Amino acid sequence: MIFRTPKQAGEWVNRTKKINFTFEGEAFSAFEGDTISSALWAAGQKVLGRSFKYHRARGVLSLANHDVNVLMTDGIDTNIRADVVEVKEGMVLTAVNTSGGVKKDKNSYIDSISPLLPVGFYYKAFHTPRRLFPFWENIIRKAAGLGVVNFDYPRILKRKTHSHCDVLVIGAGPTGLTAACTAAEAGLEVTIVDENRQLGGSLGYNRAGDSSVVSQLDILLAKAANMPNIKVMAGAYAAGYYPDHLIPVVSDSGINKVRAKAVIVASGAFEQPPVFRYNDLPGVMLGSAVQRLIYRYAVKPFNNGIVVTANDYGYRVALDLLQAGTKIVALVDMRQTGSAAYSAVLAKRGVKVYIGHCVYEAIASSDKSGVRGAVICAYDEKQNIALTDNKFTLECDGIAMSAGWAPAGALLYQAGTGMQFDYGVEQFVPSRLPNGMFAAGKVNGVFELEQRVRDGVRAANDAICHLGLQAPQNEAEKHVGISPSHPYPMVPHPKGKNFVDFDEDIQIKDFVNAAKEGFDNIELMKRFTTVGMGPSQGKHSNMNAIRILAKIRDLPVEKIGTTTSRPFFHPTPIGHLGGRGFHSHRLTSLHDWHQANGAVFTDIGAWKRAAYYPAAGQSKEDAIQTEALAVRKTAGIIDGSSFGKIEIHGPDAALFLERFFTGVYIDQKVGSCRYVMLLDESGVVVDDGIASRLADDLFYLSIGTSNAAAVYREMQRSQQIWQLNLGLVNVTGAYGAINIAGPAAREILSTLTDLDLSYESFPMSSVRESQVAGVETRMIRVAFVADNGYELHAPMGQIPHIWNALITAGKKHALRPFGSDTQRLLRLEMGHAMPGVDTDGLTNPFEIGAEWAIKMSKPYFIGQRSLTILAKRPLRKQLVPFVLAENYKGEMPMDCNLVVDGRDILGRVTSISYSKYLDRCIGFAYVTPSKKEAGSVFQIRVDSGALVAATVIKTPFIKTLKGA
Amino acid sequence: MQQFDVKSIIQTSPVAHAQPRESAKWEVINGMDTAVEFASVAIEDARKKVLGVADVSCLSRYGVKGPNATQWLLERGIAIPTTPNSWTICEQKTLVLRLGSSEFLIEDQLGGSACTRLASNTTRVASVYKVPRADAAFIVSGSEALNLFSELCSLDLREKSLAAKDLIMTQVAGISATVIRQTLNGEPVYRVWCDGTYGPYMWEVLIEIATELGGGAVGLAQYQNS
Repeated sequence: MIFRTPKQAGEWVNRTKKINFTFEGEAFSAFEGDTISSALWAAGQKVLGRSFKYHRARGVLSLANHDVNVLMTDGIDTNIRADVVEVKEGMVLTAVNTSGGVKKDKNSYIDSISPLLPVGFYYKAFHTPRRLFPFWENIIRKAAGLGVVNFDYPRILKRKTHSHCDVLVIGAGPTGLTAACTAAEAGLEVTIVDENRQLGGSLGYNRAGDSSVVSQLDILLAKAANMPNIKVMAGAYAAGYYPDHLIPVVSDSGINKVRAKAVIVASGAFEQPPVFRYNDLPGVMLGSAVQRLIYRYAVKPFNNGIVVTANDYGYRVALDLLQAGTKIVALVDMRQTGSAAYSAVLAKRGVKVYIGHCVYEAIASSDKSGVRGAVICAYDEKQNIALTDNKFTLECDGIAMSAGWAPAGALLYQAGTGMQFDYGVEQFVPSRLPNGMFAAGKVNGVFELEQRVRDGVRAANDAICHLGLQAPQNEAEKHVGISPSHPYPMVPHPKGKNFVDFDEDIQIKDFVNAAKEGFDNIELMKRFTTVGMGPSQGKHSNMNAIRILAKIRDLPVEKIGTTTSRPFFHPTPIGHLGGRGFHSHRLTSLHDWHQANGAVFTDIGAWKRAAYYPAAGQSKEDAIQTEALAVRKTAGIIDGSSFGKIEIHGPDAALFLERFFTGVYIDQKVGSCRYVMLLDESGVVVDDGIASRLADDLFYLSIGTSNAAAVYREMQRSQQIWQLNLGLVNVTGAYGAINIAGPAAREILSTLTDLDLSYESFPMSSVRESQVAGVETRMIRVAFVADNGYELHAPMGQIPHIWNALITAGKKHALRPFGSDTQRLLRLEMGHAMPGVDTDGLTNPFEIGAEWAIKMSKPYFIGQRSLTILAKRPLRKQLVPFVLAENYKGEMPMDCNLVVDGRDILGRVTSISYSKYLDRCIGFAYVTPSKKEAGSVFQIRVDSGALVAATVIKTPFIKTLKGA
Repeated sequence: MQQFDVKSIIQTSPVAHAQPRESAKWEVINGMDTAVEFASVAIEDARKKVLGVADVSCLSRYGVKGPNATQWLLERGIAIPTTPNSWTICEQKTLVLRLGSSEFLIEDQLGGSACTRLASNTTRVASVYKVPRADAAFIVSGSEALNLFSELCSLDLREKSLAAKDLIMTQVAGISATVIRQTLNGEPVYRVWCDGTYGPYMWEVLIEIATELGGGAVGLAQYQNS
């Protein structure tokens, strides 16, 4: 059966172009412009989906993306929102969440056992016996979710872009369009966004059988189209609000982050269903869905319809149905008052109107695929009960329902708008808007068309003034007359199945039960019942849930409040959120050399560093040991260009270091280097490094790779506070660094520089500026990885030249490169603890035995006050160096394995490695202070649970164990 | 000791790692191995009109900061932009970028000599601090340039917001960068500077998006007569 109406003014379908597709294996045709749902409904297909929990048959509810009755799979794509997604040629569609198809879903039996599965049953089941949990888990996992995720889904780029405007208008109904035009007329740059493919909002379909409003819409659209300073984003939704008016607008192609100077929210309202038994059957739909079917897609919703309403809107819907050729069996008005404006009009058209009545229940067809009638009875509006004594049945094939509206105010909430409940319209409306935010139309509690248009002008004028231009100040519109929303459109039924939330199959009794369980706060109730937690995010259910809870608790609605609105207010695909995926990384000027020489890279901070250089067929462990042995026996060279490098210029440079670090620098001699340790204000170790004094008023600081940016930022922040006479220059990227170390390092280096490298002239912890391979270089004598080590700092672009010269000069000494992984082993052999590796976010310097690096008698340094307090407290842990037994062959402990004493946790391993040079397993671990003395033995619990004995020794390991 | 002539050291563009070694034409410019041609002139011309990205890291630069930096530059004949976060041009088309109230980046265009002259002053002067530069630098041209930046930068780079002599220091593709809008040979272009160690990453990102938008890499030769 085909349910197409004659051509409708302003219809969205192109009748000249047919689209062919299949649904559940059956062939269908549609018009171009049809959504999947409208095409199927037009073809008489009413069961379009199955509900999530009870697998009940579902059809169209809102036809507006405000529910997820109809989600489909098409090939690799799933959870397609069929109500709003345009049908395409060749689509092969199936409904999600069925077993055996949407018509004969094998899981529909769950509906019959629903009394066994009330909300929250899963919180109380499956716990015991524990051995059965894997069985339940398997079932739960299969039941969870809707569409099946395809793990072969291709990566389809969704761009994330930015744009800017003076005024962003959200919603392109009559209010939004008017606001946009008004703002544009003032010369402002306007962006208007609407989730629908075409603009106009309800002006396109809320006609009450009179299509003359279409011309009003056409005039508005033409006006907007003729304004070059209006940018239209149709088929896109404003998904959230972030500070300073940043609004992500989501469309098929990606996310556009719009930064606006002012925002006008004219987002309208979501229609709310009245709640009665079987209000979810296919054929029972919202009044606005009826109108959308008729006027957008030229589809007759049903042949013999009942309209149940709790406001005047239902009467308008009835007139639209009549216009579409539907016979109205009855209009059932839950209100005692009826409609003064429309009752007579409908009566003239021969429609029977039942005032003060309700639909007690919808009656399903024999196969439960649709509606065959409705039980009508009187309704006590004050008590909110159905008076069933004189109930009667009317036959019909569809029910249109209208009960009221909930403002689409998610972005207003997110922006921090104060909302209050307005009993004149029975909805929450803005009472206090943030600076630069404006609300207009239904979301502002204004419903009559003329008023909405005026409200749009008023909001635009307010925005214009906000932006510093002149505009008239209009009075705020206020709804007059009967409320567009009913305060409590619920019809209790002893057998339930009167659904509030269609996503999660939540009925009135579920709220009652939740309250009985003590979940009688709206946030708790939401989580217990899961109302509003489905893909619809409460668009059609939250307001009714609030009303029900208010009734249960006998409180006014405003005392119940609303749940927290968070962005994104509408489910957004992960691909959109991911976008292009920017992974910024830094490369040293030696990167190509490392690559050409077989380096394996590792990420350290933002840098790609050579970790080690395995020979063909060589394991990582072997490569590291080989490189480390070269440093111990001849010489090794490492690219240290990623180290943080900062210059401190000026007469107060030494004073700055005194305040910033824990040591003493005032008396540091030019040409010498000193250790620096940075703490935070709580006394936690942040980083360490070397300060080289190049002149009285110039220090050159080299610090770790990972923290360099953060340390520099903190230096800048401190300087802003201290205002010393100095300049900070971050040269991390401008200078590269090479560390050459090992017994042959001095001899190799001496071939490239005329600097006297003798230990007397260039002792440990000193710095010299000289040429290396012809390049001006800062040379620092360090002993980080070996006693004989030189750090060479030079302009990044010239580092490859120095490196190549060293490699050439070192050939006869078997000089070889080593990577950052090898560096970690070498520093461990030297007994150097590393911040970030051997410390964590709570470690203070006393715990790592760094008292020697602290000058507490200084007037001030960062963290000093905390250390004063910490120094008075007993230590709770201590970092100690340890070895495993000689020839230990058992399971190797790992970083972070626990140090234990019986069931007590004493600490953890922070670094551990086998050293081929020492032929021992060495490491650092935190232990209780009582175990800190050399010779103490403690136990490490390895991954298998076995205990491994470790002995505390003195560092450097190479001296203690090898006498080197 | 081996002897080296520092002038003979040829550096490589910090961006080079991300550029095709084989298919591009390379030349040493200002002592830096630089890609001067990625495709035929016709193809690069077309890219330039839609969205061209050129690596101009080889241009000479000089950085200086400190309370006396302005005076020091003025004494050496460098024109100073009047306000922070703005730029100007002095002799030989040299760009003078004022990065803050007392920090400057000077960039010679091809054939310019101001940076060499400034660098020859090795005497340390009170409250004048040299800032070593190793930037990756790019010229982005074409009708789709704003479309490209809309994906990389949250700031409004349109003429309406980024005035002719404005300079912004912001995040581009997630890293710190300096951006100005300039007219070169009558064409509006954007100039972008970032830390050289991020150069390959920045190039990859720019080229990926430029290619999607119908543009691509443009060799330095396209700007050698600018």
